[in-house]
Amino acid sequence: MIIRSSSQVPRKSLLERFPVPRNFGVSPRSRIVPGRTWPAPEDATRVQTFDIYRFDPESGGNPRIDSFEVDLDDCGPMVLDVLIWIKNKVDSTLTFRRSCREGVCGSCAMNIDGTNWLACTRFVAETRKRATIYPLNNMRILKDLVPDLRHVFAQYNLIEPWLKTRTPAPEKERLQSPAERQEIDGYWECILCFCCTSGCPSHWWNADRFLGPAVLLQAWRWLVDSRDEARGERLDELEDPFRLYRCHTILNCTRTCPKGLNPGKAIGGIKKLLLERKT
Amino acid sequence: MTSTADRPPAPEHSSGPLSPHLQIYRPQLTSVLSFAHRLSGIALSVYSVVLVAWLMAAAAGSGPFSSMQAVMQSLGGQVLLGAGVFCFFLHLCGGIRHLFWDAGYGFELTNIYVSGWAVVAASVALTALAWLASSKM
Amino acid sequence: MALQSMRSSLGRAAGLGSAKGGVTQWWAERVSAVALIPLTLWLAASLIKHSGSDYAGVIAWLQSPLVALLLVLLLISLFSHLALGLCVIIEDYIHSGAKFAALLIVRFTCFSLCVTGILATLRIALIT
Repeated sequence: MIIRSSSQVPRKSLLERFPVPRNFGVSPRSRIVPGRTWPAPEDATRVQTFDIYRFDPESGGNPRIDSFEVDLDDCGPMVLDVLIWIKNKVDSTLTFRRSCREGVCGSCAMNIDGTNWLACTRFVAETRKRATIYPLNNMRILKDLVPDLRHVFAQYNLIEPWLKTRTPAPEKERLQSPAERQEIDGYWECILCFCCTSGCPSHWWNADRFLGPAVLLQAWRWLVDSRDEARGERLDELEDPFRLYRCHTILNCTRTCPKGLNPGKAIGGIKKLLLERKT
Repeated sequence: MTSTADRPPAPEHSSGPLSPHLQIYRPQLTSVLSFAHRLSGIALSVYSVVLVAWLMAAAAGSGPFSSMQAVMQSLGGQVLLGAGVFCFFLHLCGGIRHLFWDAGYGFELTNIYVSGWAVVAASVALTALAWLASSKM
Repeated sequence: MALQSMRSSLGRAAGLGSAKGGVTQWWAERVSAVALIPLTLWLAASLIKHSGSDYAGVIAWLQSPLVALLLVLLLISLFSHLALGLCVIIEDYIHSGAKFAALLIVRFTCFSLCVTGILATLRIALIT
């Protein structure tokens, strides 16, 4: 079920009960090996262990899992606070992206306890007893928890996320009624954290050709913007068995969006528009 | 310490490892039900071959038909038939859920979960109903 | 490093461009799905009703023209839905040249099975 409070977190997840061989079908250089354990300071009372994915590009080895025992009384309530505590007090080489610490920049997106979320808005109290922190799924890793987002941003560039008009610019603004402005509500708020795209199984199998929920949500945002005049061209670019139609309505994206947006609904809207112009 | 101006440009594609996906992603109703829909579809494809074989046996005569009936009435046959009926109802209810999505309804997260559990419950109930009905015939 | 592609991210993401098509198959799958809902429920109910019948009873049922018609319609919608679904699955998971071989095999098999089923139905309904 959708978890609304820490009391609803299952005591033992399915993955803990039936563990999947971690390195099944994984290429040799992506295989994860066990790492080292970093014990908590002696006087710590509230301690929680965090298993964190590490990768050092300079050493050239395989990625590993380091276990950090964290003094929860010494750091803030969010998972990001834990990461910062580890970086300050235990291992300064732990590398991760972060900026706003309030869930609006999208930098600290990562896989916490099996689902993708922003580290700065995920309470430590809602994590498992032995929390796991992995980087966003199916991404090339630059270092530790930092994925290479160049490909997904290139896919974003592909849908031309800017206003495309032919009528000359008016003296002041291009006008839009409040009802028309409401059409893009729920889509303009996307912070491009890519939690949804990296959680989409279809994107795992077809990352090079399938655009993914984040990019398609933005495509929808520009399609329904009443000021845009290139709806047909945008739909032409999207109508492709791989770019759009690899979406099989799995809906992992809507489930995982940390901003509560609905990429599945946006993609459903695009498919409806494509059908409308055909019939 | 070299400044960024002195370093060669970063290669267009990182050669680092790929972060894990299927191995560590938490199974959720969304992904599990979608996979079940796909798996039941593949199973039903195999059962369609059985349907055509059954029709061929009926057209061939009472001899081939009786041997086919015997296989279907054996324990293994009944188990497979039961699994087939469950796959059918799962794919049917899941398919109707998909058609609602295609029409644009039911995308809110609460609705996704309610409809998901409804599909599971309906499939189990309909399978039980079908088995009860066929045992009475 | 030298063996790696020097293609830019945008070039790689753009690929071969948009195929500018795909609605037809998507719509065809939905049309066949909607057709299959009543047809398969009818088949399931009929098979349950005749689960205790002997050979003569089944043949008598299959000889009714309405049943033959519904069965033919079912076979056509079933195998077109099946072929489309399986082709999508193959495209999802297979990316090498084997994909085309798999697609051809699936399409030919589905078409042949469909025609076989229709012939068997017509044979029972018209000849026996």
